[in-house]
Amino acid sequence: MTSVLDGAAEPGIPTDAANEMTAPDGSIRPGWEGLYGAVEAMDLRQQRRLRREVARLLEDDGVTYHVPGTGKRLAWQLDPLPLIISGEEWAGIEAGIVQRAELLNLVLADLYGPRTLLAKGLLPARLVHDHPGFLRALHGVHLHGPQQLFTYAADLARMPDGAMVVLGERTQAPSGAAYALQNRIVTSRVMGQLHRTSHVQRLAPYFRALRRGLQQVAPGDVTLPRTVLLSPGSRNETAFEHALLAARLGLSLVEGSDLQVRDGRVWLRSLGHPEPVDVIVRRIDEEWCDPLELRPDSLIGVPGLVNAVRNGTVAVVNTLGSGVLENPALQAFLPGLAQHLLGQSLRLPSVHTVWLGEEEGRREVMAAPREWLFKPTARTAGHDNTIVGAGLDDREVLALRARVAAAPHRWVAQEPASPARSPSIGTDGIVDRRTVLRTFAVADGSSYTVMPGGLTRVAPDDGIIIANHQGAWSKDTWVLGDAHQPVTGFWSDGGADDPVVPDATMPSRAAENLYWLGRYAERAEGVARLLREIEARRTEFHEATSGPGVACITALLQAVTQVTTTYPGFVGPGADRRLASPQAELTSLASDERRPGTLAHAIRNLLDSVDVVRDQLSGDTWLVVVDLQRRLARTDPANRMPTAEPGELRLDDMARVLHGLLSIQGLAAENMIRDAGWRFMDAGRRIERGLQILALLRATTTHVREEAADGLVAESVLRVAESIITYRRRYRSTARVSTLLDLLLVDPDNPRSLTYQFDRLAEDLTMLPGHPGAGRVSATERPVLEASTALRVADTDHLASDHSDQVRGELDDFLSHLYGLMSRAGEEVRRAHFTHLAPQRTMRADTSGGVRS
Amino acid sequence: MTFAVVHTTTYTYESEVSASYGEAHLLPRSMPGQQVHTAELTVTPTPGTLDERVDWFGNRTHFFELSAGHTRLSVTASSTVDVTRQPIGDQLLASQSWESVRDRLAGGPGGGDPASVLAATEFLLASDQAPTTAAAAAYAVPSFRPGRPVLEAVEELSSRIHRDFEFQPGATTVGTPVDDVLRRRAGVCQDFAHLTIAALRSLGLAARYVSGYLETDPPPGKPKLQGADVSHAWASVFVPDIGWVDIDPTNDQFVGDRYITTAWGRDYGDVAPLKGVIFTDGDTQRLEVSVDVRRVRPAGTASPGPAPTGPASASPAPQPMVQQQSQTGFDV
Repeated sequence: MTSVLDGAAEPGIPTDAANEMTAPDGSIRPGWEGLYGAVEAMDLRQQRRLRREVARLLEDDGVTYHVPGTGKRLAWQLDPLPLIISGEEWAGIEAGIVQRAELLNLVLADLYGPRTLLAKGLLPARLVHDHPGFLRALHGVHLHGPQQLFTYAADLARMPDGAMVVLGERTQAPSGAAYALQNRIVTSRVMGQLHRTSHVQRLAPYFRALRRGLQQVAPGDVTLPRTVLLSPGSRNETAFEHALLAARLGLSLVEGSDLQVRDGRVWLRSLGHPEPVDVIVRRIDEEWCDPLELRPDSLIGVPGLVNAVRNGTVAVVNTLGSGVLENPALQAFLPGLAQHLLGQSLRLPSVHTVWLGEEEGRREVMAAPREWLFKPTARTAGHDNTIVGAGLDDREVLALRARVAAAPHRWVAQEPASPARSPSIGTDGIVDRRTVLRTFAVADGSSYTVMPGGLTRVAPDDGIIIANHQGAWSKDTWVLGDAHQPVTGFWSDGGADDPVVPDATMPSRAAENLYWLGRYAERAEGVARLLREIEARRTEFHEATSGPGVACITALLQAVTQVTTTYPGFVGPGADRRLASPQAELTSLASDERRPGTLAHAIRNLLDSVDVVRDQLSGDTWLVVVDLQRRLARTDPANRMPTAEPGELRLDDMARVLHGLLSIQGLAAENMIRDAGWRFMDAGRRIERGLQILALLRATTTHVREEAADGLVAESVLRVAESIITYRRRYRSTARVSTLLDLLLVDPDNPRSLTYQFDRLAEDLTMLPGHPGAGRVSATERPVLEASTALRVADTDHLASDHSDQVRGELDDFLSHLYGLMSRAGEEVRRAHFTHLAPQRTMRADTSGGVRS
Repeated sequence: MTFAVVHTTTYTYESEVSASYGEAHLLPRSMPGQQVHTAELTVTPTPGTLDERVDWFGNRTHFFELSAGHTRLSVTASSTVDVTRQPIGDQLLASQSWESVRDRLAGGPGGGDPASVLAATEFLLASDQAPTTAAAAAYAVPSFRPGRPVLEAVEELSSRIHRDFEFQPGATTVGTPVDDVLRRRAGVCQDFAHLTIAALRSLGLAARYVSGYLETDPPPGKPKLQGADVSHAWASVFVPDIGWVDIDPTNDQFVGDRYITTAWGRDYGDVAPLKGVIFTDGDTQRLEVSVDVRRVRPAGTASPGPAPTGPASASPAPQPMVQQQSQTGFDV
């Protein structure tokens, strides 16, 4: 996938480099005085505090970056000190970026249209025809609106002579704009005083232009285009950015499987009924977008999408096929193209680039290969394949010569750039590190709007590679402006051009994840409470070898196996041994992420669901989730946050875990609108809690023990079910099974009772899309109504007292019946509302290719 | 020669398919030496969308989409085609040297229409299924002696493939790499076409993959069975002053009027007769293919009209080359 990490890997072989803050004579450059003063005033302790503060703010917002191909999550790294560019210099850069975007736009339109550039020899045909980004399937297809190139990004570096040059360009699905926004949010907080007095140009106008642009590319006469952001999924390296962009721009965050082509249009599988989609902002590299016409092995695309684009029923940005412009060899031809197409010379030069497909240049380069960087013309996403000539030994030079000779037109050589250094806060004080700025442009009206600033990336050490997965840091970028810029909102500057967009629609996959989020949150909570109670009882009776205390512990251990269905555990074969020394099994129940039923497993699934519906949740959710993640991460080296220590999820973490789970509940209760998504989440929670209560009661109350033991067990059950205080206040007696059943089964006012779960579930179900209407009953509601009725007429005294042979048979039957009804309610919800997607397969090819006739 | 071609592909699925998306290159294209009179593609059940377009290579291409559940899908292409193309004449075998063709394509001086030379350069490039491998180059080299006329060398390459490789259905799949085919010395028509193309490209010549049909004859003394034909594939090489010259390494001959062309591209991947994506829980699908190529009386006339002019017939009257061929059948 297109990433922020693989663009700016510019090894700085030359040691000579400019400094952004300090001029060669040691004076401070204009615009930097304030930052210089602030840095000078800080001692090491304050610098470190600033760094920690930034890290904390980023962590609170859950800002992460996934290492490609590993699912590993890294905290986003931000240096508190911004890169500063004067407004005057920026005006020149901005004009240069606009010029390049306009130029590439014309090139793109020509390559998928008349191809006069090839016929006239201004671009070698094989530079285009052999590039994997040139999609023949998109030949002749045009985006609605004046521009074919919608968004554009350029990586800029300042050379030793002070001039800015372009190191590379991104035209596929440029990433980083939302990280730049996030960096601004954090930096403007920690550098608040300086930020307020520096008149930094705002980023909001860029995002407003983006929204306007999305309106403009919508096909035909659609006035309120339905726009989605197509993401490869929550494990993609820049998944954070996708969710942030979707949330900020009010787009539905979707994956390929949420979209379907039907009757020539693209539809979103949304709750209730499919919704037509007009514009797709893709964050999937183009070749993966349609398994029918592009890469057949893609499982993240939408079959038929190319045909829908071709028919003009949907707009995809960036335009499918725009990856052809990411060929670095193009840089060698841009000056000529600018002359031909614009009648201008390039305002912002490229780093010196030689296409090795031309013999003359190839001869010059290969005469001294150690003086160059070598790059294949086809970019490999997520991975930098630059070869540094200077770093090669004789054998490697020979190998490189052979590779180039085999297909010279697939290689470029570039002069090694030496990006300028900027001050950063290192672990031991201020250090100067090389920086590269990625800035962004978006089609707006008949030209482009440039983000004032962008994402600055910082080399992690004094060398060379600037790539996020290799530890690159980032910086906010401050473009200084006038003292009197109008303060405008992110959404609107109140002008007539403010677009109105319809509300984002919820894909049914998001609803399904919210449902599971509810279920896993509740499951984790139930298991955590049970484990905590077991720990308390074991501490209480740690010296006892027999008697009611031991009977109670045994009952609870058996209950935990039954409630979590982690057999054999304390019930099946080997149970005696485990009951005698339960610690290993309890540790596993707490911390074994791969074992279904455990606390860690439930939390892992909860977190995965949260990742998927990130755009639906309140930002504060991250405060909680990050903590849960950190606790879970201790158990799994693959998911370890940099700050976590290895170890297991210990029982004494349980209180913190519960705290986190309760916070998620609180956020859901107080911060989420009661839309269908919330209803699904609540339904999941009610169903899971009901199932937990029933499993717990079946495991603990259907066996008759001696009275003291029964009392202890009942008390523990009340504690696990968070109802002990109510119980004491209401019954003012030691715990007994009949009153316990009264409180946990039938009491309509106890939020932990079964009746309460069924009542709430019934309410949720009537609010879901597709409900037949007031007074009518959907299939989903039937088991719920049946259970409610059974509970209403239940006689708890009778159920508790009717027993023989130490078994409350009637109670067991009753609980089992209710359990069945609750499970059925869950199945009905899934059947009625969640799309079952059959696996995508390839039609068999006719391989007969030969019968002898 | 006028032919009626009916090509039916039927999929039967184990469990219901909720949606199918397909792309077909099944209808013949009109071109010099081949006139399409009627052509129709039908998909059953009735698709939600059936779009026809001309693809990058000029081929007739269909997109279809079925979003209603189905357990059977059938695609039938029917056409009547008049073929007047004759195999390249003997005298052309003594044409330009292969090196001069190579140099012309690399940007050197020489004949040919500049636009068509430029367009042909696309087919110099390695493609997924016809890559320029060292093994393919090594196989081709003995036929490309210095100064040899290009078509003579190509003809010999085709003959060697025909002699060295066993025609063995089932030995390969549509995805078998050229180098594997070279090692196994066996394959079917797609493999021999890809090998020819890979070999030519590795020498700096422009070659493309052609998909279509070949009229076949029944075994001696037996009637021709309905649906017993198959689709076929061969290679084509670009010679600047002549144009594209088709050669069938599977049957060791230049392509003549028993060949019906549907589509061409860089390799099989560009012109697969039918490909698709389906959504289903079942993992088995049964595929039946029936192809029928029949000679018919030309539509409306008693005999085929004069051959249209074009690259293949721009030269002096071509000589039929197929007459000595065995009439017992062809490998495809």
